[in-house]
Order: sequence, then C-alpha cells, then structure tokens
Amino acid sequence: MDRAATGLIDRGDLLAALDRAAARTVTTISAQAGSGKTSLLRAWAGRPGQPHRVAVVQVRRDELDAQQFWLALLGAVRHAPGTISGADLPAATPEFDGPAMTDRVLSELADQSGRVMVVIDDLHELNSPEALAELTRLLTTLPGDVHAVLATRRDLRLRLQQLRLAGELAEIRAADLCFTERETRELLEASGIALSEAGLALLHQRTEGWAAGLRLAVISLADHPDPERFVAEFSGSDRTVSEYLIAEMLERQPEEVQQLLLRTSLLDRVSAELADLLTGRPGSERILLALEDANAFVTSLDPERTWFRYHPLFADLLRLELRRALPAEVPGLHRRAAEWFVQHGQAADAIRHTQAAGDWPGAARLLADYSFSLTLDGQTPTIQALLRAFPPGAGADNPELALVHAAVDLVQGRLDQAAAHLTVAATYAETAPPDRQRRLRVAVASLQLSLARRRGHFAGVTEQTKFLASPVTGQSAEDIALGSDLRAIALMNLGAVEAWSMSLPDAERHLREGAVLAREIGRPYLEVACLAQLGFASKVRPFATTRRHCREAIALADRYGWGADPVVAPALVTLAGNLVLTGEFDECERWLQRTERALQTDIGPDIRLLVHIVRGLLQAGRGRHHEALEGFSAAEHLRSQLEGSHSLASQVTGWMLATQARLGMPGEARSCLAALDDERASSGEIGNARAVICLAEGSPAAALAAVQDVLDGTAPVIGNVTVVEAHLLAGLAHRDLGDQRSANQATERALALAEPDRLVLPFVTTGSGELLEALPRHETAHAALLTDILDVVHGSSLAAKDEPPTAQPEALSPTELRVLRYLPTNLSRPEIARELSISVNTVNTHVRNIYAKLQARDRSSAVQRARELRLLSAAATR
Amino acid sequence: MDPAPALYTIRIHGHLGATVLSAFPALVPRHLGADTVLTGLLDRSALYGVLAEVEALGLDLVEISQLTPQPKSPESGDSGPP
Repeated sequence: MDRAATGLIDRGDLLAALDRAAARTVTTISAQAGSGKTSLLRAWAGRPGQPHRVAVVQVRRDELDAQQFWLALLGAVRHAPGTISGADLPAATPEFDGPAMTDRVLSELADQSGRVMVVIDDLHELNSPEALAELTRLLTTLPGDVHAVLATRRDLRLRLQQLRLAGELAEIRAADLCFTERETRELLEASGIALSEAGLALLHQRTEGWAAGLRLAVISLADHPDPERFVAEFSGSDRTVSEYLIAEMLERQPEEVQQLLLRTSLLDRVSAELADLLTGRPGSERILLALEDANAFVTSLDPERTWFRYHPLFADLLRLELRRALPAEVPGLHRRAAEWFVQHGQAADAIRHTQAAGDWPGAARLLADYSFSLTLDGQTPTIQALLRAFPPGAGADNPELALVHAAVDLVQGRLDQAAAHLTVAATYAETAPPDRQRRLRVAVASLQLSLARRRGHFAGVTEQTKFLASPVTGQSAEDIALGSDLRAIALMNLGAVEAWSMSLPDAERHLREGAVLAREIGRPYLEVACLAQLGFASKVRPFATTRRHCREAIALADRYGWGADPVVAPALVTLAGNLVLTGEFDECERWLQRTERALQTDIGPDIRLLVHIVRGLLQAGRGRHHEALEGFSAAEHLRSQLEGSHSLASQVTGWMLATQARLGMPGEARSCLAALDDERASSGEIGNARAVICLAEGSPAAALAAVQDVLDGTAPVIGNVTVVEAHLLAGLAHRDLGDQRSANQATERALALAEPDRLVLPFVTTGSGELLEALPRHETAHAALLTDILDVVHGSSLAAKDEPPTAQPEALSPTELRVLRYLPTNLSRPEIARELSISVNTVNTHVRNIYAKLQARDRSSAVQRARELRLLSAAATR
Repeated sequence: MDPAPALYTIRIHGHLGATVLSAFPALVPRHLGADTVLTGLLDRSALYGVLAEVEALGLDLVEISQLTPQPKSPESGDSGPP
C-alpha cells in the first residue's frame, strides 16, 4: 500500500526526533488519545533501513494480568523481524512467577545480536502494579544494545529517575507530536484534498495540529463537494473536535457502514463473522477491509486481516453513540456476542459480554463452568476481575460463584478461605437443578481433593476420587470437556496422594493415566503436573527409571517454558535427591537451586519438606553436619505441620537423630527417640538412627542389636538406602568390637547392595571411609564403585553420569566393560585376570581394544575417558 | 482524604454534544463561552472515573474545582448549577 493511499505522510522531523531520542536507553512518548503515537511508532519501526530489530507489543485494554502482558512481551521479543529463535512461546500457567519471567526476557534480550528496540504501546492500559514494578526493573537493567520506547496517554509511575540522572531517558510529549502547518498541508495533498491557504490555516488552528482531528477531517473532506465550506462550518462550531468530526464522518458513511461501526463498537476485537452476526447481514468483511484501506481508524491485527481493532478513542465515541442512539439493542448485542464467544471457546470474553448484557445468573453459571479451564490456562487474574464485576447483592452472592472463589483461593494457597467457600458450594450443589447437580458435585469433589492434598490430609480422600475418576456421562460437548479436565485433575491429585502415602504402584498407574488423558485433551500443564508427580512416585524404583521419569517431566515443562515453575518442582527435587544419593553433589546442587527458584511462589509445606531433606543430605554428604542438621530439623518442623502421617516421616526423623548423634549430641537424640510413637520407633530408619547413637555413645554391641531387624528384613524400610546404611553401621560396630573380618563382610555386602544404583551417600554419611580403606582389594567385586566412593569421601563430587556423552565411542563389548571396571583400581593385569577367571593374554587383548576404542594412550587416560563417558558404573554393563 | 462526596465543576474546552455528554450521566452540563462546565456531586472514585473518561475521549480539560459550601448560609445553595 503506498503512503498516499493511506493518507499518512512522512513526518521526517518527528522521525528524526525519535531517532535522536532512541539513542538513549529509554524513550517515553506521553500524549493524549489520538495524538498519533501509534502511527509514529509504526512509521518509525517500518522505515526502510531501520537499524534496530524492533519488537512491538501493544498492551490490551485494561490489562490486569501481569502474565498476559509478559507473555506478549516475550512473544514480541522472540518474533521481532530478523530474530532467530525456534523456541515456542511459553503457555500461561496457574502459577506465574513475575521476577523469573523478567529474568527470562532480559536473558533473551541479552542473547540477541545487534541493536534491539522494545516498543511498548498503550502502556497506560497496564493496570497490574506487579507488572509495572517488574517493568521498571527490566528498563533499568536493559542489556547494552537494547533500547525501549514506551507510548502512553499519561505519565506513568515507573521509577526511572536513575536513567534520567544518567541522561539515558528521553521524552517526547504532546507538543512534539502536533502536526505543523506544513505537515497539515502535506497530509491534505497526500490525500488529494485541495484547500485554500486560509482554509488550511483555519483547519490547523481549529484542530490545534491534533493528529486524530486531522485524520478525521481528512476522511470527511476526501469526497466532500465543498471542502472550504466544511472547514468553515467546522471552525465555526463550538463542539469538541473529536465529537464533531466523528459525527460528520459517520454521517457521510453509507447506512450499512454506520450500522456496522456502531454495533461492533462494543467488541474489543472485531471479525467479519462477528460483525455479520451483530449487524444481522453479510458483507462485513468488505466494509472492514475498505475502512482499513481508507485509514479510517480501523487496523487489522493479523497478516490475514481477519481480526480488526478500532482506534481506542474512536471506539469509545462509537460506543457512546451506540448507547445513545440504540439503547434498547445493547443488551441483545452483548448476548449475541457472548453466544459467539461461548461457541468459539473464548470463555473470558463470553462471560464479560454476558455480564454487560446484565444477565448475572447466566454470567455466574458460565464463570463456574469455566473456572477450571481458566485456572488451568493461567488466567486467575482474569477470573478475579470477572468476579469483581458482579454487582453487590444478587449478582455477587450467587452461590455458583462460591465454587469460583474456592478455585482462586486454592491456586493462591489460601486454604482456609478455600475450605469455607467449598462448604457453601457443596451445600448449593445439593439443591441445584438436576441438570447441574452432577457437574457441581464433581467440581466440588475435585476442589476438595486438591485442598486435601495441599493440606497433607491424605486419609479419607480416596472415595471422593473414585467418584471423580469414573468418566462423566455428560450430554453436551462442554460436559465432556469439563468432565475430562476434572478427571485429569482428580487422577493427578489421587496419584500424588498415593505417592505420598507410599502406595507407589497405584500412584504410578493413576499418574500415568492422568498424563495420557491430559495429553489427549490438550492440557500440557496437567500433563507436566502428572509427570512431575510420577517422577516423585518412582523414587524407590531403579535410579535410572526415576531419573528418566524426572527428566521427561522436566523436558516437557521446558518445552512449554515452565522449567522453573512450581508445577515441575516434584520432578526437580526428586532428581536432586537421586543425584545426592549417588554422590553427584555438584549436579544435585544445580537441580536443588532450580527447585528453590521454582518454589518462589509456592509455600506448600508438602513440597518444601522434600527440599529441606535433600538440602540436609547434600550438606551431610559434604561433611557439613551442622548445616545438615538445620536442613533435617526444618524438614521435621514442616512434617509436623502436615495433617496426615508423612510417608518419609521415619527417614526425616532418623536422619535428624543420627546427625545430632554425630555432632556429639547423643543425649538430645536419645530424648527425641524416647518421644516417638511405636510405629515409627520400630521402623528401619529409626533403628539405624539408634545404632548411630549407640556408636556415638561407645556401645557397638547395642548398635549391632539396633540394626538387626533391618538386616534380617523384619523392620519396614523406605527403599534400599536404609538397608545399605544398616550394613555399614553393622560394619562400624564390628570394627569397634575388633572383628575386622565381619566388618569386611558387612562392607562388601553394603557395596553389593549399593552397586545396582551406584549408591554412594550412605558410605559418606555413616563415615565408612575407613571400612572401605581397610577392605582388601582382592576381597571386593566392586572395586570401581569403591574407588568412586573413596573419591567422594575425600571431598570430591562425582561427575554427572546421566548427561548425554559428547561423542559416542565405538561400543565396548560386555567383557571389555567388565575389564574396564578394574582399570581404576590398583590391581595389576594378572590380578584382574585372576578376579575375572580369564587368562592374562585375554586381559591384554581386552585392554588393547579398550585403549583403541576410547582413543586412550595408557591406563590413566583410559580411566579418565571412561569416567567422562560414564562407562564405569555397573548399570552401563547391563 | 475526605470520604464524603463534594460538589465539583469540571471545565472542558468546546461544547460537548449529546454523545459525549452521555459519558457523564451524573453531571449537569452548561455552556460557558466556548467551554462546557460539568457540575455534580462526586466522591473521589467517581471523580477519578470522570477524569478517566475525559482522558479516554480525548477531551481538552481546562480546570477542575471543588465548590466549598458557604459556611454562613449552608442552605442558600447559590453556588449550585442553574
């Protein structure tokens, strides 16, 4: 489209002013509605030879939702012309972390090469204090080559003094945007309007160079039989410029165009289909395209030109005119628009228009029905805004809304309020009309289950869940969709509860089922939630399986940009916990930090408990027993806040007591021990703790007795770790009793049990270094593991094993791998041959092949390379 | 901040027509020269609502003032709109 056809002129002076301003870090353009801010930004951004990569975001009308704003900004940064980024835009989540999002935008901006300009238009529409605060931080910490332009109707409370003092803030104000008389002439000429010098001066004076006024005048003047008369009448009128000119312009439009503009003015976005619906006749597409081509305050929002937006000032005036001219039709128009939005699955718009139609009960019903899907789409602020729009009294007291309040409370962790609202909702559900009763009951039950999980109240929820997990036999598509959402949520909650109460096979089954369902119904957020819980539920499976589950959940979360969200925290913390057990402390630390970042907006005691446990284990592994005790004590404290008995309770308490004993406080540990109930006191974990206390008190015989039930398998234990620990404690007791032979046997048994998962941590925390050192190398079949453990005992962290290797070498045969595992030991080749019951020549052949395949020159470089490739673990030979 | 509603006059440049006036149903308009003066009893939030409307409609705001009642003759009402 050439510029003359659009009626825009090249405002060279203004563009140059913006160029100069844009050399600073931040430029603000503050001017009233219709001053031409957006047009200026468009012209500047689209100018040939524009040296910046320009990322433009337009703030939606009355934007209350910080998340929507930041997602739009991130999208603009990723899709700025010339930007290479294959990443999908993250989807909205119920748990939005503003600071993390700002960091993400900043880091993506820093990764861009060349000059980048972030343009934020209509910033006055952003009504989220959190978003404005984070935006201030973004603007004051922009990377060197990144600049920003903010367009707003009024000065904003962004704290940019720092930039101002540094001379990095430029301002363009209303006076700079006004058309000069020369520009007014150019505009008229470009639009093919001939006007006398006097007429021109009059027009310029009357509009005071206000861009919207001039553009409106141009539309009316374009086909006016007597432009001079138009200008004379206009300047003679006392009416305000915009009102006069819009009335003039509307009057000059054909009837069908007037009807379309008025009736669609109540929409934020207009499509031809919606316009046809609201005007009751076809042909809207042609009109909308023609209006945009005539530059008549109508702009398309997509390259296909299916959605349009009216200039806000224009839309506001049209809306007033609609209410004045056709007041009786307004509710009906809103109702029709609402129906269209319901049919097209756009719940928030549907509810907004139902409210505008004055149909409060209908709006309450819609909001109750869609609160789940809106919550899952991360639109909690939208729900809150919709709730606020209900008038006090009949509207706001609608019992359907109790359900909505409860859903919002739950997302934000206000558990007591959620419970109160749920009681109201449950009472209402029993008296609701039959067609709604089932649906409401299901919704209430689902929320009650979520509440129970968050409170750690695990008992008595299974029945509710069975009710939920049965498929809803709904009539309508919405019934089925709602049913599927609720079922997926129910399966996630049920599986999570089962995992916490150690019904692990059931937990895995339900979580897997939930993940499959979530994928089928297109709810990636729920899929991530189920998979993350699955990672936790598989914590006592072979470590390779646990890690695979955790990594799958994390990878999926990363794909949607939720890698640091609370939803994936169970997988993050389980992975960290798994890594600490195998002595990969640095890697554990990395994942633990990521978990802590993910939990910034979630204070649930259930998940934080796990973080403290892993933190405690990591400190213990690094020999910092004081810090370890802090971690275990914090975990113990949170555990006591949960309503139900926690599945890991005996482990937390056991480790806390053992750490106290190791710190020379066996007395305190003893008194805690005495306070335990019988069930916990008889667990394997507490048996181990008792043994540690006895060892600290110098009673090795009592220590042996304490672990006896674990060793003979009669005490209940949480996983293999407890058993390995018990053998090591027995080994220490034997050594203290002077029975080195039994000590060696216990150590070898512990190594054998530890080998499949390459467990390292129990050796370190129990202080079994000396046991390992004392074990003759020819008496162990686990030399490689033993070497690794001693490395950790001597203060190093094992390199991560399960990161993909950089280059795949030619695969080693199983026999070669067996030989390889002896290379880190100090056994000679004849000794290795004897261990493996093969000839020295065979060993030599294998070693030669190993060197060749690993491209190693000698034994130590082969070991080095094998470690890098994670070939030394027993798991790799299977 | 005074929570009680007070009488405000809001002066806008130009004569407001029926369309724009419909945005201010709580206010009484009168013309004063080339300006329009809107008068009405507003509490703070209603006042800010009116100002937002003025901003949204691109109107040319000239002056806002609060009419303080005469302490001596509170019932005389001579300062109200005609």
